[in-house]
Amino acid sequence: MTADTMHSEYHQDTAFQPRANRLGLWFFIMSECFLFGAFLSARYFTTGTFRPEELNQKLALAITIVLLASSISAYLAEASMAHNERKRFALWTTVTIGMAGIFLIGVAIELYEATLHYPPGTPYGSAYFMLIGLHAFHVITGMVGLFIVLFLGMRGRFGSDNYWGVEGVVKYWHFVDLAWVLIYPTLYLF
Amino acid sequence: MRKSWIPVGILWLSYSVLMMFAVANFSWLPAEWSEEAHVVDSAMLLLQYLGAPVMALVLAVMTWSVIGWRDKGATRQDGENIHGHRGIVTGWLIITSLLAIYVVINPGFVGLAEIRGEPSSDHVITLHGQQFAWSVEYENGATALDELVVPADARVRYDVMSADVLHSFWIPAFRIKIDAVPGLTTQAYATATREGSMNDDVNLRIQCAELCGPGHARMALPVRVVSEQEFLTYIDNLKAGG
Amino acid sequence: MKYVARGLVLAVTGYLSGVALTVIINGNGATDELAVIAGYVLALIGWLAGVGGIEAFGRQWIGKTPKVSESQGWKRYFEFSIDHKVIGIQYGVTLISVLLIGGLSAMIMRIELASPGMGVVDLDDFNKIVSMHGILMVAVAVAGVIGAFGNYVIPIQIGAADMAFPRLNALAYWLLPPVAVGLLGAPFLGAFNAGWTSYAPLSVTNDSGQILFNLAIITFGLVSILGALNILVTVITMRAPGMTWGRLPIFTWAGFATSLLAFTVTQFFAAALVLVTMDRVAGTAFFSPDVGTGLLYEHIFWFYSHPAVYIMVLPGFGVILELVTTFARKPLFAYKAVVAALLSIVGLSVVVWAHHMFTSGMADFLHGPFMILTEAISIPTGIIFLSIIGTLWQGRLWFRTPLIVAFGWLFNFLIGGITGIFLADVATDIHLHDTYFVVAHFHYTIVGGAIFALLAATFYWFPKITGRMYNETAGRIFGIWVTLAFNATFIPLFWAGMNGMNRRVGDYPAAFEGANKFASVSALILGASFLLFVGNLLYSAIRGPKAGPNPWNARTLEWLVESPPSQHNFHSQPRIVGHPYDYGVEGSIHAHFPDEEPHAEEQREEVTV
Ligand code: HEA
Ligand code: HEA
Ligand code: CUA
Ligand SMILES: [Cu+2]
Repeated sequence: MTADTMHSEYHQDTAFQPRANRLGLWFFIMSECFLFGAFLSARYFTTGTFRPEELNQKLALAITIVLLASSISAYLAEASMAHNERKRFALWTTVTIGMAGIFLIGVAIELYEATLHYPPGTPYGSAYFMLIGLHAFHVITGMVGLFIVLFLGMRGRFGSDNYWGVEGVVKYWHFVDLAWVLIYPTLYLF
Repeated sequence: MRKSWIPVGILWLSYSVLMMFAVANFSWLPAEWSEEAHVVDSAMLLLQYLGAPVMALVLAVMTWSVIGWRDKGATRQDGENIHGHRGIVTGWLIITSLLAIYVVINPGFVGLAEIRGEPSSDHVITLHGQQFAWSVEYENGATALDELVVPADARVRYDVMSADVLHSFWIPAFRIKIDAVPGLTTQAYATATREGSMNDDVNLRIQCAELCGPGHARMALPVRVVSEQEFLTYIDNLKAGG
Repeated sequence: MKYVARGLVLAVTGYLSGVALTVIINGNGATDELAVIAGYVLALIGWLAGVGGIEAFGRQWIGKTPKVSESQGWKRYFEFSIDHKVIGIQYGVTLISVLLIGGLSAMIMRIELASPGMGVVDLDDFNKIVSMHGILMVAVAVAGVIGAFGNYVIPIQIGAADMAFPRLNALAYWLLPPVAVGLLGAPFLGAFNAGWTSYAPLSVTNDSGQILFNLAIITFGLVSILGALNILVTVITMRAPGMTWGRLPIFTWAGFATSLLAFTVTQFFAAALVLVTMDRVAGTAFFSPDVGTGLLYEHIFWFYSHPAVYIMVLPGFGVILELVTTFARKPLFAYKAVVAALLSIVGLSVVVWAHHMFTSGMADFLHGPFMILTEAISIPTGIIFLSIIGTLWQGRLWFRTPLIVAFGWLFNFLIGGITGIFLADVATDIHLHDTYFVVAHFHYTIVGGAIFALLAATFYWFPKITGRMYNETAGRIFGIWVTLAFNATFIPLFWAGMNGMNRRVGDYPAAFEGANKFASVSALILGASFLLFVGNLLYSAIRGPKAGPNPWNARTLEWLVESPPSQHNFHSQPRIVGHPYDYGVEGSIHAHFPDEEPHAEEQREEVTV
């Protein structure tokens, strides 16, 4: 075996690279969990479980449902690609991106209302802006990722035997969802 | 295998004895002016005594490495194939654990109880820290900016506050320290044991011990320990004068 | 160079457009902190795109195949190379340069501190220099051994051709220069004077240089996390056939343990600084004196920064253990116990952070548990010492420079560790906290533990990396010189601390003059020793005699290939058939190459002598 075949053995070996990628992604997600953990604990540290009356509970619940639903559509997008159904993939990815957009609009409304009732200069407001901001940043990066795989998918880059890019972005999207599942009760319920 | 135990053991013993002798005879500690200082210093001494044999062991091995185990003829041959020794590892674990447990209990919890325990006091003095000065407020409301006067042989509680950033209230001669945290009142206790002032010992001063900005280094205030009687007159005069 | 130039141009463009954009939108000045943030972020993106990100990642996102630098020779060190060996050298050279800059700032500090009163700098500038020294050095200590040698050695030690994510590896390295530029550029915005710890609220109210500190350190966190992730995945998925966990070389184990720690806690430093940044620019009030809680920052910060000290020193343990077995010609004593100790240090180090906060005013009931846990960590650390002692025991020690530096390490870290016990006891820490005793403790642990390991590792792997031997005599002189000078510098500072001198002060009572003068003179002698170090390495890298593949007769895989290793490290896939440290066992073999090439054959004979 020559040096070159060895190198390609590692990097183009279809069994190896997805395994490494998957592991890497899981580690990355774990690492992100600690980041969210830091901010979540900061919220409890500064304000305990205090929660202002003026929170817009209905809107929050609504966008939570939208975001959770977007996880399902993201899953469907991945499954479509696994079956080589490009059109359905494009459809479900677009739906996911759309729901993410709705979520972000909801968040923007909430932030606007927050500036009126519990501005960033108050302890709760500080925690609120920080957590919502951090999460929104993740939603936006997730959306960028979805756009990229949508674009690449339409150009035929993925197939049923080779869709790591889709899988990675969708897993990340599930994580963004999961983070919200922790942030929502932290800010609105406890 | 066996023959190294003897020289290393001898080295270990002699290093230990030497170090303990040094600890006993050459104190590095500054003068004590409070009961707490005595607790802290005894703890420090105890730790030095306990640390001596641990250091001595490693030093003994290092010394014998150079003398006894050096590959003198530069033969570049391999040493013995010793992979480990269950008994030694277990023994080491047990001894170091016992040592650690002992240290936690003795200077640790015992000292902690003596320094921070028992929330009773004869006097309360409040200290306000701000960039870059201390102001002292006595129990009768009198305030001073030029020095801190403390009664001897009385337990004083210091309430420490800050108006801007973190500071730290530290009197080295008393060996007590507590941070001044904006938004909190923190407390420290000390019982001064003898009279004196910063002229007798530089460590009779409050030194800010938490980086607080450009003036941090000079955020200090002289401390004067007087008899309880003098202390009471001092604060009364202060009140009348202010 | 072309790529670096392009990166610089794009970075400057990015910075200017970020600033311009904010100025237009907000109408504030160009040094407004929001403008600096926008500028920094765009500059960072521009830089990464310029140095090779466009080819390596951008092309893929628009559906083309990625390209990376394939140059050979000197050029590849200035390009987006994905070869882990090139990246290791890039880390090494960058960080040793930073070490010298940080050391130079220490020299200024020591000159100022040689006598009471103010001499060369004023009080505020002194604090700024301390802060700069602290953070630069912490960065070197965190990334030094693991960035340089972790990258270079770990893939070879496990029998892999490269890291699991070579492009990510390169990306992580290229994030490092902006960190250095950000920190060193802070003086243009007034520098930062809150210490490397940057405690809030001071770090909320000080000069704007603090914002660059925050951004640079958040970037540095990213370097750490991405690097750690890469090492974890590499060690898990890319071990050669037969390389079981029980046969993993100890340096690789140490790197693995370090990475476990780095990728879980580094976020906390970033998080703490994000909060500070938000307080500065977004109007939040986490640390404002009237609403916020002053202790929040300290808790989050130390949740990272205590484990960080182990991130610094664990790779050092790996290096020293590796060296001691090689030069004692004996198997590593109690290999399994050492691995268990490394992993339990990882576990314990995340639950001891509040030992930095014994005088912070946190609730008294927390003192006890944190004291217990802190003392507990000395038990696994003790196992490392036991292993070193056991390995030296009855060895046939070959006192070459790496071993001499390792002996310096052993002595220094012992003192550092034992003085750590003084600090871990609440009773004594109440007096010692924030004094020069702490300064001396952590120089003994960080310099004694991490930097000495970096120096030892540099000598040890130098012949492998350059293919040439350093000058042995100069090396030995340096090893002894640096150890003596280092001890002469910091021993007096223990005395100063115990006797009432606090840290981070440009001026002090005259009573401490003697100790400080002694320390300052020794520090200059210590600084001078580094000229010998750098000189020796630079000269030997070009002129040194050829070292051959295995000058130390070592057994781990990196010594079984030529020096420097070929592009993909191995000519054929090694199969691991035995323990890496079976010194003294007749005919034992660590690895076996199915496609034996002539030179590999020679080596195996040498190893099994
Ligand atoms: C590489 C870096 C490093 C390492 C390894 C350590 C190791 C240890 N450190 Fe240190 N420390 C720092 C870097 C480091 N530290 C820094 C940078 C600071 C200051 C930060 C700042 O404020 O700027 C600091 C500050 C610091 C403090 C806070 C002081 C204060 O500000 O008030 C404390 C308190 O507990 C402490 C304790 C310890 C302990 C118990 C260990 C232990 O892990 C040591 C364990 C080792 C041994 C004990 C020796 C070997 C063991 C044996 C031979 C076995 C037998 C021994 C026994 C059973 C006791 N350190
Ligand atoms: C890796 C970590 C590391 C290293 C290596 C060092 C190295 C040194 N440090 Fe430092 N130090 C810290 C980490 C480190 N330090 C930290 C974290 C702090 C706390 C900061 C804070 O409080 O926030 C600190 C603080 C600190 C203080 C306390 C300041 C104060 O509290 O007021 C002092 C004082 O003496 C000091 C001194 C030194 C000295 C003399 C060296 C020497 O070892 C340096 C040796 C010299 C060199 C390495 C370079 C020599 C180079 C030349 C002479 C020129 C050659 C140049 C070229 C070839 C270009 N350091
Ligand atoms: Cu106040 Cu330092
Ligand atoms: Cu610590």
